[in-house]
Amino acid sequence: MKLDAKSPEGPLARKWEKYRGEMKLVNPANKRKYTVLVVGTGLAGSSAAASLAELGYNVKSFCIQDSARRAHSIAAQGGINAAKNYSNDGDSIWRLFYDTIKGGDYRAREANVYRLAQESVNIIDQCVAQGVPFAREYSGELANRSFGGAQVSRTFYARGQTGQQLLLGAYSALMRQADLGHVEMFPRRELLDVVLIGGRARGIITRDLVTGKIERHAGDAVLLCTGGYGRVYFLSTNAMNSNATAIWRAHKRGAFFGNPCYVQIHPTCIPVSGDHQSKLTLMSESLRNDGRVWVPKKKEDLKKHPNEIPEDDRDYFLERKYPSFGNLVPRDVASRNNKEVCDEGRGVGASGRAVYLDFRDVIKRDGVKSIAEKYGNLFQMYEQITGENPYEVPMRIYPAVHYTMGGLWVDYNLMTTVPGLFAMGEANFSDHGANRLGASALMQGLADGYFVIPSTLGNFLGTVGPSKVSTDAPEFKAAEDAVRLGIAKLLKVSEKGKKTVTEFFRELGLVMWEYVGMARSEEGLKRALKTIPALREEFWRNVRIPGTGEEFNKELEMAGRVADFLELGELMAKDALHRKESCGGHFRVESQHPDGEAKRDDANFSYVAAWEWKGENAEHVLHKEELNFENAHPTTRSYK
Amino acid sequence: MAASGIGLILFCTMHLAGNLSLYLPEGSVFNAYTAKLEHLSLLLYVVEAGLVAVFLLHIVTAIQVTFANRRARGESYARGLKSKGGETKANVSSRYMIVSGLILLAFLIFHLWQLKFGPSEEAGYIAKLEGEDVRDLHRLVVETFQRPHNVALYVGVMLFLGLHLRHGFWSAFQSLGATNPRYSKPIYCTGVAVAALLAAGFLFIPLWIYFDVLGVYK
Amino acid sequence: MSGGMNLNLIVWRQENAGEPGRMMPYKAENISQDMSFLEMLDVVNERLINEGKRPIEFDSDCREGICGACGIVINGQPHGPKRGCTTCQLHMRSFKHGDTIVIEPWRSRAFPVIRDLVVDRASFDRIIQAGGYISAKTGSHADANAILVPKDDSDKAMDAAACIGCGACVAACPNASASLFTSAKISHLALLQQGKAEAKARVTRMIERMDLEGFGNCTNIGECESACPKEISIDMIARMKREYLKAMFAPIPQQKADAAG
Repeated sequence: MKLDAKSPEGPLARKWEKYRGEMKLVNPANKRKYTVLVVGTGLAGSSAAASLAELGYNVKSFCIQDSARRAHSIAAQGGINAAKNYSNDGDSIWRLFYDTIKGGDYRAREANVYRLAQESVNIIDQCVAQGVPFAREYSGELANRSFGGAQVSRTFYARGQTGQQLLLGAYSALMRQADLGHVEMFPRRELLDVVLIGGRARGIITRDLVTGKIERHAGDAVLLCTGGYGRVYFLSTNAMNSNATAIWRAHKRGAFFGNPCYVQIHPTCIPVSGDHQSKLTLMSESLRNDGRVWVPKKKEDLKKHPNEIPEDDRDYFLERKYPSFGNLVPRDVASRNNKEVCDEGRGVGASGRAVYLDFRDVIKRDGVKSIAEKYGNLFQMYEQITGENPYEVPMRIYPAVHYTMGGLWVDYNLMTTVPGLFAMGEANFSDHGANRLGASALMQGLADGYFVIPSTLGNFLGTVGPSKVSTDAPEFKAAEDAVRLGIAKLLKVSEKGKKTVTEFFRELGLVMWEYVGMARSEEGLKRALKTIPALREEFWRNVRIPGTGEEFNKELEMAGRVADFLELGELMAKDALHRKESCGGHFRVESQHPDGEAKRDDANFSYVAAWEWKGENAEHVLHKEELNFENAHPTTRSYK
Repeated sequence: MAASGIGLILFCTMHLAGNLSLYLPEGSVFNAYTAKLEHLSLLLYVVEAGLVAVFLLHIVTAIQVTFANRRARGESYARGLKSKGGETKANVSSRYMIVSGLILLAFLIFHLWQLKFGPSEEAGYIAKLEGEDVRDLHRLVVETFQRPHNVALYVGVMLFLGLHLRHGFWSAFQSLGATNPRYSKPIYCTGVAVAALLAAGFLFIPLWIYFDVLGVYK
Repeated sequence: MSGGMNLNLIVWRQENAGEPGRMMPYKAENISQDMSFLEMLDVVNERLINEGKRPIEFDSDCREGICGACGIVINGQPHGPKRGCTTCQLHMRSFKHGDTIVIEPWRSRAFPVIRDLVVDRASFDRIIQAGGYISAKTGSHADANAILVPKDDSDKAMDAAACIGCGACVAACPNASASLFTSAKISHLALLQQGKAEAKARVTRMIERMDLEGFGNCTNIGECESACPKEISIDMIARMKREYLKAMFAPIPQQKADAAG
């Protein structure tokens, strides 16, 4: 199968306009004849469901949480980028596009990224109209701050809770449509399969997480807005319920998986404190605007209280190595450098796996009050978790898995390789290449939901026309039976199983972090490719799950998700092994410059790796979408 | 609740203002005041009817709200709730408004029976006022407050009035949306002061008479 | 940073909404001070599963205090003893060896128990559904800087918008009232220029919905503010009441039916 990105012809800046000018439309009166199933209620899902319902489609909205408002987009802290150029510092749509392509290490599709940059300005207008309380200046105008990987101030924010405010904006738009009867809400539902009829996605199978009831839902299109798969590492900044089940099951139904190995490891997280750790907490990248990252120059100083280490004995390694970007280098670069100094034995804290993020100088310059205003809630969160006061003692931070750039492969329409099945937000692979810049995830989720899908889905539905399917169709029955069988199989294993789901999960996480984490080697990846299938085999022989399938059962939910992670993890290792270059979040130790910087190999790897599932006992097949850079010409990414 | 509450606070204030004359050595001032009220005749009935309506509104709503709130909780906490402190207004006064309220209600009925509908001219409580016969309510009050159990009862109940108003005053403003961050604290403090003043004003009358501070009642 | 605390837990166990529940004793052993409260429960659950027992079900998602999914009444205090803190952010250093900890779900008729410590908070969604939004369509809008919002108003709106919808206010209120939650949304939108057009219809409908859901009445005790993990002030409630009175004494120009058009 030949992958067709379906990027419109013509000059970059005109592609989206041209697309919208030529796309098929659905007559307003006909829209109510279509039902759209939107899975997930994060930024992409909520905004899509609300926008589509407003256009007149029947929308069914599903989420695993008890309320749409709790999707994990809510935890995004720092901000959202937009090429408004309010700061008059030379920003433009082109520059946002260029920064994103470059930040992604030239592994993203130009047309998609340009469209994203174009829509970014509309997002801010949209959100302000909805009442999102963005930070403002005394003039009453919107405030901006700068973020990693950019030299302009284009990030809009709402204290340290930007994701929350944007999500609540989208959620309220969704609630408005629910109030009007245009959206039917299905909370506490988990997607367990996608139903294809005639090769086209026509429905989903869900499990009611309260009663355990397996349900069928039919529609004209299925939108997966179910987030990323960072939880495959067990420890990550993702939420406890974040999972890959929806996209993985869709993958098994024919949707290609794009660039699974591209994982973002965020440099500023609170370090692990012990084996009990269930998740990691991010400290927003915005802190790097004012905080300075350092470790002691001398190992003897490691035991000293940080405030007692004199200025001359501190190594501000990011400022030293990257004078022009300093502490604001992109996430992958910062993370790798943090790891490096810890590997050298200069890491701080009890575990030796942490660096300082120090606010001493800025507090001296601007005062405690100004810092509290900008980062108060983050500082408070840090203190709650660690018991230390960051106004007085530097924070200790370490990288943690944060975001997955990979995801279901989609074309310009955000449609996967399964007709009628769309993937949006973090669930797709599209806009961030091999590394995502800070404050761009929120931008992508909302661009996809508010502005892209209303057009591209209309184009699809306008092309295929309305047609009804019944949930009594044999394909629905077959899918439901398969789901029931899967659950029964898990519970059957459990009768004799000895190890809890969490034990397996934690083990998988360790393997992934060790071999498919920040620095990947051929040897390590090959080891992962042996270990993961063995662990999977053991899982299906020895997992222990309490209770039954016909009740509220979090362990059972988790078991299904871990089973999927045990397959996805292997594909990630496979993808990482095949990509013998370093790019963005993917760092192969075999491919680096003498100074330790990542070495990209454009001659051989300038493509999207899209993997096709061939069945339980068959190997994945690799398809390539070649990337053409007609506008942003690949250069060595340097932040020096 | 809030509006009727404010109405009742106003009533208490006027009631106390009139009763302040009980602190004077001459009973005639108090009798003159009550007689003035009586002479309003029709108007008095209208005012009284209004007052009864406000009281009923306040009481009925309070009872309804209490039942609704009980229902809203459903299963109760095994060991109750414990405050986390801070700016909370949780205290005996705010938590037990219904208790202090019911005590005040019972007292109100007793108080009306004992004094307003108590022995009157027919029973010989007659005073001469500018040559006219009026009800000698002053004597009745004095006689009442010369009995220690009445004094204890009135003093005790007035403490509950204080408690009730301590939360009630501020609460009424808050419920009417008349507070804002700037005035919230001053209003709360004013409420405490008003509660203390009203309660003290009423409370000292029976003591004043019982201990015969001015030495005029034998 | 040593571990090793042993604790006695008394936990509410309930199969489902239809069946009665009861308090059951459990032991939590070798608990580290660095664990969060929910990680402590994770440890207890791992043991229960290994013993072939049903684990204690509770809601939790982000585990960083922003999603609002978690919420447990700990020793009579929603989200535990610390102010400005969710259950997931509460760490075991707030407890000491040998403590007895009573663990219960949010108690409110409007939040029926689903299982153990998990409650159904759909009533909050329905309150938001009754007008907790600005009816801005998706599409072109005036440039974001065309609407100037004084910094002070914007900051206040953000204070209100910080609500995570966890329901601690209801759990803490002696009357199980949802006034703080409802007023936070009303205040957030009423403080912004964009929200004023629909203010009257919004406050009326949302309050009606709140009452309909079976929440109790606000008697201004202020325990909601004390328990709120985002420390939202009861000044929001005063603002809601003010907005409500305004709506009552002035005609609503645009009713829901028009808005739907």
